[in-house]
This record gives sequence, structure tokens and C-alpha cells, in this order.
Amino acid sequence: MKRRERMEYLLSLLVSVLLAFLLGGIIMAATGHSPLDGYGALFTGAFGNQRAIGNTLYKSFQLCMTGLATAVASQGGIFNVGGEGQMYLGALASCWLGAVLSGHSPFLVIPLCLLAAIIAGALYALIPALLKIKLHISEVITTILMNSIAIYFCTYMANGPLKTSEKGVSQGTASLDKVFQFSKLIKGSNLTESVFLIAIISVLVWYLMSRTTTGYRMKLTGQNQRFAVFAGLNASTLGILGMLISGAMCGMLGMFECFGLQTRFKPDFSNEFYFDGMLVAMIMRYRPLGTILMSFFFGILKIGAITMQSKTGISSELILIVQSIIIFFMAAEEGILQNLRRRRAARMAQTVITKGGGEG
Amino acid sequence: MPTDTSAPIVSMRHISMQFPGVLANDDVSLDIRKGEVFALVGENGAGKSTLMNILYGMNTPSQGEVYIKGEKITDFSPSQAIAHGVGMVHQHFMLVPSFTVAQNIVLSSEPRKGIFYDFKEACRITEHLVEEYGLKVHPTDRVCDISVGLQQRVEILKTFYRGADVLILDEPTAVLTPQETDELFQVIRSIVREKQMTVIIITHKLYEVMAISDRVGVMRQGHLVDVCRTQDVNERILASMMVGKEVLLDALDRSECTDQEVALSVDHLEVLDNRSLPAVRGLSLSVRKGEILGIAGIEGNGQSELIEAITGMRAVQGGHVYVLGQETTGWKPGKIRKLGLAHVPEDRLSTGVSGQADITENLIVGKESLPRFSIARIHMKKQPMRAYAQEKFNAFDIRGAGVDTRVGSLSGGNMQKVVVAREFSFDSTVLIISQPTRGVDIGAMDFIHKQIMDKRNHGCAILLVSADLDELYRLSDRLVTIYEGQITGTFTPGSIPKTEISYYMTGGRKEEAQ
Amino acid sequence: MNWSTIFSMGTLMNTINTSTIVILAALGCLMTDQAGMMNIGIDGMMTVGAFAAVMGSWLCDSWVMGLVFALASGLLFGLFYGVFVIRFRSDEFIIGVALNIFAVALTTFILRSIPGQTGSFHPQTGRVVKLPSLHLGVLGGTNINVSIMIPIAWALVIIAWIFLYKTPEGFWLHASGEHPESLRSMGRSPEKMKYIASVICGLMCSLSGAYLSLGYLSTFTENMSASRGYVAVACVIFGRSNPPLVFLATLLFGFIDAAGQRMQGIVDPTLTATFPYIGTILMMVLLALRQAGRRRRAARA
Repeated sequence: MKRRERMEYLLSLLVSVLLAFLLGGIIMAATGHSPLDGYGALFTGAFGNQRAIGNTLYKSFQLCMTGLATAVASQGGIFNVGGEGQMYLGALASCWLGAVLSGHSPFLVIPLCLLAAIIAGALYALIPALLKIKLHISEVITTILMNSIAIYFCTYMANGPLKTSEKGVSQGTASLDKVFQFSKLIKGSNLTESVFLIAIISVLVWYLMSRTTTGYRMKLTGQNQRFAVFAGLNASTLGILGMLISGAMCGMLGMFECFGLQTRFKPDFSNEFYFDGMLVAMIMRYRPLGTILMSFFFGILKIGAITMQSKTGISSELILIVQSIIIFFMAAEEGILQNLRRRRAARMAQTVITKGGGEG
Repeated sequence: MPTDTSAPIVSMRHISMQFPGVLANDDVSLDIRKGEVFALVGENGAGKSTLMNILYGMNTPSQGEVYIKGEKITDFSPSQAIAHGVGMVHQHFMLVPSFTVAQNIVLSSEPRKGIFYDFKEACRITEHLVEEYGLKVHPTDRVCDISVGLQQRVEILKTFYRGADVLILDEPTAVLTPQETDELFQVIRSIVREKQMTVIIITHKLYEVMAISDRVGVMRQGHLVDVCRTQDVNERILASMMVGKEVLLDALDRSECTDQEVALSVDHLEVLDNRSLPAVRGLSLSVRKGEILGIAGIEGNGQSELIEAITGMRAVQGGHVYVLGQETTGWKPGKIRKLGLAHVPEDRLSTGVSGQADITENLIVGKESLPRFSIARIHMKKQPMRAYAQEKFNAFDIRGAGVDTRVGSLSGGNMQKVVVAREFSFDSTVLIISQPTRGVDIGAMDFIHKQIMDKRNHGCAILLVSADLDELYRLSDRLVTIYEGQITGTFTPGSIPKTEISYYMTGGRKEEAQ
Repeated sequence: MNWSTIFSMGTLMNTINTSTIVILAALGCLMTDQAGMMNIGIDGMMTVGAFAAVMGSWLCDSWVMGLVFALASGLLFGLFYGVFVIRFRSDEFIIGVALNIFAVALTTFILRSIPGQTGSFHPQTGRVVKLPSLHLGVLGGTNINVSIMIPIAWALVIIAWIFLYKTPEGFWLHASGEHPESLRSMGRSPEKMKYIASVICGLMCSLSGAYLSLGYLSTFTENMSASRGYVAVACVIFGRSNPPLVFLATLLFGFIDAAGQRMQGIVDPTLTATFPYIGTILMMVLLALRQAGRRRRAARA
């Protein structure tokens, strides 16, 4: 039964993805581009050379991190739309600390900065979690508003009190020592050593979510909070735990971005990429393994889209459109299938009764 | 006086209704005559409500035809039924709680002044209806603020406003006090006598059938078994027609119990309901080991709040709860459970299970940290979990594709078995059981009853709340009646007939209980 | 701090401008809320409305056509939301969030497909016609110009209130959210009322978007709504879906926003930009605290 459900789900996913790409192709054609050229450029953009492959891999890991961050919070029953803000605070906190501790041993500084990023991200995620659990305020609204607050705040800090005194740098905090920065694994690409950390974190989070008693309890809490309380679980703590982990992951990713690619905190380091990962997790219904695997698929699309844009002039936003169309399909999947099933059942009932009536 | 020769006002021909997996009505043909009170009786799930929902157009039958006043119904919808003069009072009222009485009565056919709703006219209409039918309600009261009995009057007036002359009442007395029931029956008699209306009443209380109806139809498992004149039958005959021969339940094996130790006691408990109104008012009771204490009462008299307060799901305003000699007032559910209390909740879907999780995951809750199922209380050992679930799956005869089945896709009876299997597996001394067999078929019911009795015979103290008097009489060692959050009497099932206990369930007080 | 700069005519105008954007969207949102659906997707509907308005105004050289384009897009997206949430019974939060992302992606994509346009819309040929303003005179040396959308928005607040609390159709809409079966048992389709609510929501959000892009600016910027749709949702919650109360909430939000802008001389503008968001969250916290307090008092009584 469950296996059949899983097969049905995978089939729906496949159909949704194909339909979404078809629609993407139609949009390309409608805006006067050849879909074949577009998707071709997308493919070469993702795999064309070593640099492209490095970028694709890095993007995938990044999506994996944000996707799992969404998934782990959702497993505990809280929908974290605020990862972007948590990421900003994590990035700012770690970069600030890294700059302050300039000259010390990286073996001391990097763990401390990581800790700073974790604390900043987790604390910022704690606020909406508490508001949700104690006061029943919708976390979707608070987290999204807190994104704007965090981004403006960090921008202010990076251009004001924490602005670097280096010449020729228009905005951002003081630069990090070379030894603190993650070095590139493939020259010219974005692939930095941070992916090892991301891989470890992802495995840990996957393990927590699907193999531990805590993850199991979180899942029950997210599915039916009243049942969790009834069964004696500490539902509030489990919900908060999910958000803390989620926020910590976002904070760390903020640090990885800045320590790996930016050399300092810059207010424009993120291009709303938390939402990309969030979409991946939503498509995979917050299942950890599915989210990890799907990240690689969307990593390809995201990086390929950049080349597609530069080569064919098709805006990379197309991929976001395709992604959201998949979500629409997947969110409606159950309803559509139910409608089909009901229609089939009604038709079958009709024939059964007609036959039975004929005999009687 | 209806005569056999008059043409039927309602005629249902060869009605069949197929729901996914259930044939709710199977080739039912039924004629209702003008001016009669027709009672439709049958057990839960016999298909009475389904049949009447078809007459009212809420369901389109898979097969068959319906004629009202000689006209064939082609398009099954409530508006068609209303246009043909059929009105229905549903078991669960169709009232908008935040609207006023008048607003609810005229809903969807509001009087207008221009494009606006005419408040004055709606009130006038309501007052006029109240006068004409003698059903007293106040037009400007909000529905959420008035009693269930008054809400039912609003429902009846709704149908009169639309000019109904065929009135369907689905289990109208389930929520009423005896006095309110008497009043309702007087209304039914007067509208039949004075307005020549036709009334169809769905019920499973046989003495009501005898009291009010001219004819009675008996349904069983989707079939209309028989239709007779009420004067030709008695309750005993009807009962045997309703149940059939095959489902007579065996007596349960009840062992003598000598242990007198009190395992659960409640002392002057005060609890509020969701609207912050007092629901449990200074209630005290105690349950000994090896005893089943049944709580009999009409729903909404504080039973749910009492259970939730004992199990830690609801805040206690005053008084004390003791479990196994330890005061647990204000404890969280998890802590009370650890002390030795298990709980079968009244609403299994919203409280008793996680519908999205599979059977294994639902059965294992509370045991996931045992060494048998985990390493260092962290890593889950999936294989032993599955094996354990499989064992319970077989022992409790849960019908589903396997332990990987999502619980939400199970039938009510099987879902309840999952809950019972889990809650009975903790070796808890105190068991709180609420509505254990609601919506459960007779086979599963008998099975669950045996499990409960078995627990009692092994020395558990059991507090049982049920809306089903037969169930309470079958299982309980002692019975208390509850009314408006207070105990109104204590009985042994043998000492008082079912017909008399309802007096205490509706506010009557037993002298010794004071 | 100079209080007179904060409580000035300019602040008042800014308050009204900002609150107009929010109240239009909030009126749509409260319709769906009354019909039992919390529409988080209004932010996206605003974005699309803003874009369509600019396109219509530019292509037809007429602000009327701008409005027509916007309303058409609102109709489309309202129906879209309705089909998914009502017909397919999808999770309304997921659809809402996906709708917002979709809207930003779609408008950005189309914008960038127009040669030479990124970031915001600056046409090389033709012009984007703004919504007309009414000149109300001069006060304290300031010209008082009021966009026609402001009186329209105010009128719509009253119309929405009358519709919901004075007409049978408004009752049906509310009943379809509070107790849909009560409506169905009287032979009326609650789904139909829910669809009507979704469509009204789409239309109102598109008006809000049109005011955003054609009101005092005349351009479309990527991600133009800047989470103001979420602020509108918060105002709907704060005003318990009652149009006049929601309107007061949006005025409060508008004032915080305007006061923040006025304080830019004293506080850094990037910092004042956070005020409206912090204010909105505080508003929701206060409301929740008050409700919790009321429950506790009732329990004690």
C-alpha cells in the first residue's frame, strides 16, 4: 500500500516535471526563442566544462542545505519561510567575528565563527517559533516579514557601524584573513571546501529526520500536534527544535557563502537562494532523502539557466517559473487524483449495480 | 387519519447508493403517505440517513427513482427538494453559529429591501413563524449562544419558512432532554394534525417509535427489512428485526474482583470548556483496581472535559486528580502516562492517531526509546519495530494491506483497533476509555469489548465514557450519571433499567448521591 | 527629535498613500478569509497586477487600459487560486507561497524578455501613463494632490463592509467559510461563493498593484510589492476581517511607514525601512497577547 503510494507519487512527480518543462518550452517559444536552443544551452551551461560542473555541484549543495533546512522545520510542524533572514544574520555574525579575530589561528577562528553563525541563525529562527507556539501567530507571515527586517538590518550594519575602512570597497565588513577563507576545489568555479561541511551536515540532518527517535517524534508532532501531545510527546519543544536546527543551518550557509565566495560580508551576497531550496523541499514534500536528490536536479537547472540567459537571452527566471509550476501540480496532485478516482469508482458502481439489478 | 388508499406523497423506487467500498442502500423501495408520522429505525450504519439524504437531494443515488407528490425528481439537489416541499433537520445542525436566529432561518432566501438584507422583515418572519407553530425562539439571539434544544427549533422553523410539508428529522432526540423531547413530540403531533404535514423521523430509540409514529420502517445493512403499522408491533419485535438473529452478543467473561485499592480518584474537579464556561463543576469520583466505572450522560455534559482534565490534555481550574495515590493535577500528559495511565480518546482521527503515519509508526509511540526498539534511545531499530507492529496487527485483527498502510486510509473500526492496540500495550493500571466503539461495526465492537473486559479481569482500573447505554450496561461494574458537569447518581447496571437511567442523565437527582 | 516633521502634512499624505496600497490588497484578502481561505498569495497577485497595469498603460497609452489589464490579470489569478484551493483542495499556504514566487518569476521573466529592460521598466518609446490625481488645493505651501485611487479605495472599504454585513450575498460568502454545509443544505453552493471570494481577492489585489506601479510612480520594478502583501494579511488578522477595522490597521501601518521615512534625517534610511515590518509583527503580537489575556480573565471569572 505504502509502496504503491510512493510509486504513485513518483509518477505524479515525473509527469509534473515533464509538464512543467513543456510549459517552460512553450513560454520560450512564445517569447520568440527556440526551446531546443534554450534547453540545450541549459545543459551545456551545467556540464559544459570543469568550471560549469563545479558551479553546478556547489549550487546543488547549497540547495541541499536550504532544502533540508525547510524540511527539518516542517517536519516539526513549522513552515520556515524566513531562512533568507537567518542566513543574513549568520553571515554577518560570522564575518564580523572573523574580522575581529583577524590574525589568530584558523583552527580557533573558524569553529568560533561557525558557532556565531549557528547561534545567530538559530536565535533568529527561535522568535517566530515561539510566537507560533506560545501565541499561535502564523509563522509564514512573521518569518517573511523578518526576512526584510534582517536584510535591511544587515545592510545597515555593513554600510554603517561595521563598514570596512579599506579603500575601494563600497560596502561590506572588513575582509577575512586568507587562511580563514574556504579555498576553491575547482579553479574559477564556486566549488569550495565548504561542500564537505555541507555534506556532513546534510547526512546528519537526514539521519536525524529519518532514523532517530527524535526525528520520528518531530514527524508525529508536525503531522498531528494534538496527537503528539496526547501521546505524551513534548510537542512545543519538538517544534522549536526543528526551527532551531533550520535556523542554524541557514546561518551556517550564510557563513559558507561569505567565507567561500565573498571574502567578507556583502549585503548582496544572496540572490534569494533560500527560496530556491525551499521550493525543492516543498516539491519533495519535506522528505529528507528526496530533497537531497532533487537538489542536484535543480542545481543543474539553476546553473544551466545562467548560461541559457547569456547565450540565448532567455531570462534565468524561467527556471523559477518551471519550479513553481511543479509545485502547483504537486500541491494539486492529490485533489486531481481523487477526482479521477471518484469518477472511476462512480462509473464502476454504476456497472456493478446495473448488473446486480439485472440478475435480481 | 391516513388511509392505505391515498396516493403516496413520497415514493422512492429501487434506491441503491454506492459509496467507495460500501453499499449504503441496496434496492430500497419506500412509500410515505400524506399526513402520517413515519419512523425509520435501524442500527448505526444501517443506511437510514443515507436514504433520507437522497430524498433531500444531498446525495444522488447510484440507482433508482424518487417521486415527490407524483413528480419524478430528475436533478438531485436540496433546492429541488425544497421546491417540492421537503425539509430536513440534520443530525448535525446546519446553522451558522455566528449568525442570529432570524438570519439562519432565512439563510439563502433572505427578504430584501432593494439589494440589501431586510433585518426587520427577517425578524418579523421569524416572529410570525414562532407564533404560528408555537416554537419559541428569539430572532436576534446568536445561534452560538442558545441551547441545543433551541437550535433544533431554529432548524425546524427553517424548513417551515420554506413551506415544507414533508419534514425529515434525523435523530432529533439524541441531543434533547426528556422534557425537550416531549415538547418536540407535541409539536410533531400538532403540525400533523393541524397543518396536514408529513413527518419522517429517523431514530434508534424504539420507545419513541411507539410513542410518536403511525408506521415504522426497519433498515438493516442497507436493506429495508420491513414496513409495518406501529400498532401491530412492539419494541421487542422491532429490536429483533433491527439486529437480525446473527449478531446477538455473547455474555462477557467477568471475573470476581477482590482488590479494593483505589487507582484513580477525582476530587471536586472544576474544568472549563473551549468557550471558557464551566463544564465540570465540582465533580468527584473514584475507580478501584479491577473495576469498570461507566459514565452515562448526554453528550456535552462535561464528559470530554473531565477526561481531558484527568489525562492532562486540559487545564484544571480547581480540585484534584490522583493516579495511583499520586496527585497529578496539572501534570503534562506524558508524565501522567509514565505513572501508569493510558487513554483511548473519543475522537480518534484528531487525537488518537496520526493519519499520515503508517500503522507501525502509530503503534510504536511511547515505546520508541525502549532498548528493544532503539540503540542508546536515539537510533531507531526499524526491523524490531515492524515485527512488533506485525504482532499487534495480527493479534488485534487489524484489516489493512499491512503494517505499512497509512492509518488515515483505514476504516473507523480498524483505526480504533490501532488505538486500542497501542493504549492497551503499556501495562498501565489506569485506563481512560472514551467512546470505544463509536462508528465501529458489530464484529469489531465485540472484539474491543472483550479486550476491555480482559484488562479489567487483569486488575486494571477503567473509566469508561460512552454515549451508548447498551455498551455501558454490558461492560460497567458501576455506573454514574453525569449532568451539566456533576454526578447525579451512582448505580449498578442490574439495579436500574435503561429507560429509567435517562431520568438521571437529564438532571434528575438520586437522593443518595447528594 | 523634531516631532513636527513626523506629524506633518507630508507624513499624512505618505500614510494615506501607503495604507491605500495595503488596504486594497487587504480587502481582497479578507474576502477569502471570510470564505474560509487564508490567501497568502496576495503578494504575488499584487506584483502581477502592478506589472499588468504598467504594460496596459504603456501599450495603449492610457491609464484606463492599465487598470483594465490589471483587473484582467487579477481575475485570472483569482480564478487560478480558486481552482487549486477549492477544486483540487490543495494546501492554501503552499499554493499561496508558490503563487508569490511564481508571480515574481513571471513578471521578471517577461520584463527581461522586453529588449533592454532589467530591474525596472524604462521604455525607450512611448510612455507609461500615471493614474490621474485630483488637485485639492495648497496647504502650508504643499500642493495637495490625491490620486483617484485613494477615494476609490475608501469607497471600496465601505462597499465591502456593506456587502459583507448588509446583503444576503455577503452572508452567503461568510457562511461558505464558517459552515459551508449550512449553505449547501439550503441548495446553494458554498464552492461558488468561495470562487467569488477568490476572484474578488484577485481583482482587489490587482488594483493595489496598479496603484503601486501607476499611483505615484509610473514604472514597474522587479519584486515591487516588497512583502506588502504579507503586511496586508497581518492587517486582516489584526482587523478580524472586518473592513473598517482592517482599514484602521492599514492606517496604523501606513503611519509607521511614513513616520519612518520622515525620520530618515535622524536615523539611517536602511534602518527606518525595517520599521513597518517590525510594527506589523508587534501589532500581531499585541493582538495575540490581548486575546490570550481575555481568555485568561474569562477563565478566572
